[in-house]
Amino acid sequence: MAQYEALLEPLQIKGMTIRNRFLSTSHQPVYNEGGRPSERYIRYQEEKAIGGIGLAQCGGATGIAPENSYHYGQIDGSDDSVIPYYKELSGRLHKHGAVCTIQLTHGGRRERWDSSNWLPTFAPSSRREPVHRSFPKEMEEFDFERIRQCYADAAVRCREGGIDGVEVTFASLTLIEQFLSPAVNHRSDEYGGSLENRMRFGLEVLARVRKAVGDDYVVGIRLPGDELLKEGLGQEECVEISRRLATSGLIDYISVVGATPHDYIGTAKIWPSMWLPSAAFLHLASGIKAEIDLPVFHATRIVDLATAERALADGHVDMVGMTRAFIADPHFPKKLREGRVDDIRQCVGATYCIDRVVVGHDAVCIQNAATGREQTMPHVVPKAEKPRRKVVVVGAGPGGLEAARVSAERGHDVVLFERDGVVGGQTILAGKVAWREPLSGVPRWLDSQIKKLGVDLRLGVEADADMVRAENPDVVVIATGGRPNPGYFKGAEHCTTTWDILSGRVEPGEHVLLHDDQGAETGPVAALFLAQRGAKVEVATPERKLAVELGECTFPAHLAELYKAGVVITADHRLTEVYPEGNKLVAVLRNEYAQDMEEERVVDQVVAEHGTLPNDEIYFVLKPHSRNLGDVNLLALAANEDYRVTANPEGTFELYRVGDALTSRNIHAAIYDSLRLCKSF
Amino acid sequence: MTIAATIGWILGLALLTGGTMALLRARRWAAGRPARVHWLGGLLRLPRSYFVDLHHIVARDAYAAHMHVAAAGGFVGAVLVVLVVHLLGVESIILAWILLGLLALMATGAFFVLKRRFGDRPARLSGGGFNRLPYSLFAFAFGFILLTLPDAGVAAPYGWSSSLGLIGLALGAWGAAEMLAAMPVGPMKHAFAGALHLAWHPRFERLGAERPVVGLVPTDLAADKLGVETPADFAWNRLLSFDACVQCGRCEEACPAFAAGQPLNPKKLIQDLVRAMDGRGSDADYAGSPYPGREIGMAHGAPHAPIVGDGAMIHPDTLWSCTTCRACVQECPMMIEHVDAIVDLRRFQVLERGAVPGKAPETLQELRQADTQSGRPLSARLDWAADLNLLVLAEGQSCDLLLWLGEGAFDLRNQRTLRALVRLLRAAEADFAVLGAEELDTGDLARRLGDDATFQNLARRNIEALAKRSFKRIVTADPHVLNSLRNDYPAMGGNYEVLHHTQLLQELVAGGRLNPAKRAGGAAITYHDPCYLGRYNGETAAPRALLDAIGAERREMKRSGMRSMCCGGGGGAPLTDIPGEARIPDLRMAQAAETGAGIVAVACPNCAVMLEGVVGDRPEVRDVAELLLEAVEGAA
Repeated sequence: MAQYEALLEPLQIKGMTIRNRFLSTSHQPVYNEGGRPSERYIRYQEEKAIGGIGLAQCGGATGIAPENSYHYGQIDGSDDSVIPYYKELSGRLHKHGAVCTIQLTHGGRRERWDSSNWLPTFAPSSRREPVHRSFPKEMEEFDFERIRQCYADAAVRCREGGIDGVEVTFASLTLIEQFLSPAVNHRSDEYGGSLENRMRFGLEVLARVRKAVGDDYVVGIRLPGDELLKEGLGQEECVEISRRLATSGLIDYISVVGATPHDYIGTAKIWPSMWLPSAAFLHLASGIKAEIDLPVFHATRIVDLATAERALADGHVDMVGMTRAFIADPHFPKKLREGRVDDIRQCVGATYCIDRVVVGHDAVCIQNAATGREQTMPHVVPKAEKPRRKVVVVGAGPGGLEAARVSAERGHDVVLFERDGVVGGQTILAGKVAWREPLSGVPRWLDSQIKKLGVDLRLGVEADADMVRAENPDVVVIATGGRPNPGYFKGAEHCTTTWDILSGRVEPGEHVLLHDDQGAETGPVAALFLAQRGAKVEVATPERKLAVELGECTFPAHLAELYKAGVVITADHRLTEVYPEGNKLVAVLRNEYAQDMEEERVVDQVVAEHGTLPNDEIYFVLKPHSRNLGDVNLLALAANEDYRVTANPEGTFELYRVGDALTSRNIHAAIYDSLRLCKSF
Repeated sequence: MTIAATIGWILGLALLTGGTMALLRARRWAAGRPARVHWLGGLLRLPRSYFVDLHHIVARDAYAAHMHVAAAGGFVGAVLVVLVVHLLGVESIILAWILLGLLALMATGAFFVLKRRFGDRPARLSGGGFNRLPYSLFAFAFGFILLTLPDAGVAAPYGWSSSLGLIGLALGAWGAAEMLAAMPVGPMKHAFAGALHLAWHPRFERLGAERPVVGLVPTDLAADKLGVETPADFAWNRLLSFDACVQCGRCEEACPAFAAGQPLNPKKLIQDLVRAMDGRGSDADYAGSPYPGREIGMAHGAPHAPIVGDGAMIHPDTLWSCTTCRACVQECPMMIEHVDAIVDLRRFQVLERGAVPGKAPETLQELRQADTQSGRPLSARLDWAADLNLLVLAEGQSCDLLLWLGEGAFDLRNQRTLRALVRLLRAAEADFAVLGAEELDTGDLARRLGDDATFQNLARRNIEALAKRSFKRIVTADPHVLNSLRNDYPAMGGNYEVLHHTQLLQELVAGGRLNPAKRAGGAAITYHDPCYLGRYNGETAAPRALLDAIGAERREMKRSGMRSMCCGGGGGAPLTDIPGEARIPDLRMAQAAETGAGIVAVACPNCAVMLEGVVGDRPEVRDVAELLLEAVEGAA
């Protein structure tokens, strides 16, 4: 077996001993409230320490000044009341052998003025920021002094709170990068123009921080290796900045990122989904590593052991950031140490986690429903203390697979019926365009786990109620998923569904109108699938934009792909009628706002997407025979208490529905349904 | 001259011939290097050595033991009385009847010998001269029964016309020729050389010892020749020991390399050494199992010719197939030390010729240059423990237990064992420390591969480092380290009390400092004895006691304890990597699976790696420390 020695080698930075090279870079999962680390947040980070991580960089974009907003659930590091929280956080991580840093960040113009303290945003120049849409105030001399001191004070609080080091953000187009980047900095004083001038503010901040925390404390920075932005910092300039910072004697490491979130497409690159290849920006970190004598950290789409080991062993980086890999599996290093590499749940790059964060929702993992829910959901499902039970699961999509996995981990006998010859359900269709293929990792891991756990998987068997009852089950989980629903409009019967297209059952027409009234991935994926096969495609949606349900890390990728494939996108239009005319179809689109305005399209094919309808026939046949009549005490379930209902004492089994068999949702919902029900079986 | 007188002359002639041949044989041994022996003490101890130490081994095969008691006991007794009655002519009816009784006993033994050789004959037994032996035994017994009948007053003295007398004379002459005259060269050589071997055994201290005596004598690096090249380079009593071989093949049956179809058979190895020494110079007349995959009749040698080589008596592949597991030594009823011979031969190959196959040269190079087998820096030995804050014992510091980590500290699999051990030591509040970067490889692997120069260098430097620190005992999870420090370092001047981790853990459990919970159900466990813990150090009880303490359903493999089978990982065999038909760990794992156990408990990093390397559906491999930790944490 490969040893992964480079990954397991400790690293010493000043007084900070990092036990291995596993790193989770600072990020903000939006678990905090009121600018204070919540118990949920601490448990989330602690789980990684339990799982063996070396360095858990915490406090993503921790605020340092009153004008910083806590839009993404950041910690407010701007006053001393945060120190006890730091102590709690660092203590809990140290207890399990991990070390931690806090990332100190002034967002500059990358903030909102209309939240937190309702103060204006600040920047080197007053140009508007495109993503947060703020018009910043150009900084004056007293702003410089105030902010420099805010950094220093915030760093001292970290030190006093037992945090092992601080990271000053020079990246993510926050304030210091706003000075560095010629795309944003248009000043003509000593803070603008030449590289030396553009670096001045950052160096002043570092000098102030260093003086405040002392020479023995770890201070690092996060810096782009290339902004990948027109008129922004190129690779050569970033290497030069690194060189100057490294020789300044002020810092102890540089953490390198690629790209910058100047706009939506930049956001989709700096925190990329599976749209970008594995280790997409490793070369940028490597280029800086070659030029400086400080440890170099790097994270971006490094999700597997082999890539991580190579990045280290070949000398590209000193710490390998696997931030999302830890979201998918916080026990990654532990499983490696225990020789259970096959048990590692690998991040597929769906980026459901950050996609939610960038729109202000809490981060959850598309496939691991326990992440961020450590207070209620187990990462290691404990064996049931009760006697073995017989659990029958119908349907082997993600929800059914998770139900089978968790039930088997509980120690029960599990039978899993699947109508198709393969497991995966709708994830198979969802991965039908090339760049989405990594999604197949979700069912693949679950499949490998249920095989290991001895689940009796019966592929190609369409179970009916009699077959289920013949198993004498104690519990039945219906995970039969859904079937496509074109929507409710006149002439829907003339439409093709996205499933017909993606599964290849129906050939693409020449001119195709795709109506997306779902708002997530399915519409864009089907549209791209059609376009890649030669169809001329128009996508219409009643929403203000396509893929309205997706966040800034994924929708730009879909849109970029669609525009490149020549797909026409029409927002604010709802499909109201389809009728045949000759060998063509006429589609009527009504303006969602000026509702008396209608347009017609004459096409060969209308593809309509409106989510799914539950496959619930078997459920309703079984329902009268069940003890709970299919019911769940939702109040109890939400409170993580005993959710069982006895509505029919004669019933011989408990009956539950999960995922789209209940109602049309997504992969995470299906998996979470199963985990939270089955963990109590 | 009467028939009675004739038999007297024949006996006298046979004794004279036998004595001459014995002297000639002894001259062959005398060609060897000098050795210090207890000339008289050895002889005086012989009855005890034979009846206690050696019989203890023989008795493991009950049939052979009973057979041998009858045949050999009858023969030795009968010969003494035969000489009194028929050579010296003492007339005594009582003596004659005693003799008849002894001869009858001998004949009974001979019957069992015959039955074993020509009934369901074990494959391990050699044929050749040994197939003649039952008939010679019969000839002697029945010949002298006939010849003694007149002395017992049962028959009249025979005349030359008496067919009974003539038959008796002929059989008696045959018997005397084989059993007395040809004793130093024929199948009876084992009795003659075996007795002397036992008296002047190269590891005399082994006799009566409670624990195995296994320490190797360091090579004198200033000598003209390092190691053994020709038969004459062996000490004379080693040459004598080879002649003691009775070709019973118990070693062959126990040898893991032989079982895996690698070209090694310890019995043939000894026989090849005999043939190289005694001037036969070829293995053509060898009548046992060959080295797997190699034909008989291709090997040639002489007392002063190189033993190892392509076309020489022993092919290098044979030499490098050995895992030094000592199963052969453990089984040998003649107490021959095969592995010592192998190491002596390897020493010459490595130290004088640099001829060592496979990946072994790289590993030896690393040991010389980096002081670790893998070439990893010494500073990396604690990498796995970066978050454990182990106390590194600095010069002048002291602790109760010094935890010796070994090469396993670099291996992900074994790091799990070490982490478990550290947690257990912490749970027991033991006062322990490690050497950190001051710990060099013990040199054990170099020593087994014959590179004694490297071993001695490492040992000397380790002993220097240890001398600057004080500790009561050394504990290690690696039986190879244990053996090296405990049995090989004393000759280098390092004397320590060394414990295997299972011994220490057992002590902690017995003393109530670790309180494991009993396993509730779960898979049955079978324990695989590491050679260097069991056969080399006599410890088979402590790990089993620990498994019992955690309430394991413990199952034994057919081969276990001191007679366990090697995992294939010893003696540098994974490095020399001589191909066979099967892999030793596969064979061993199959034996484990046969017990129906779901877990193979191991207590050695090499065993863990070898057995975990077995692919397919197999029991899980867990170190005893890992299992104990689970139980201790389960109780907490």
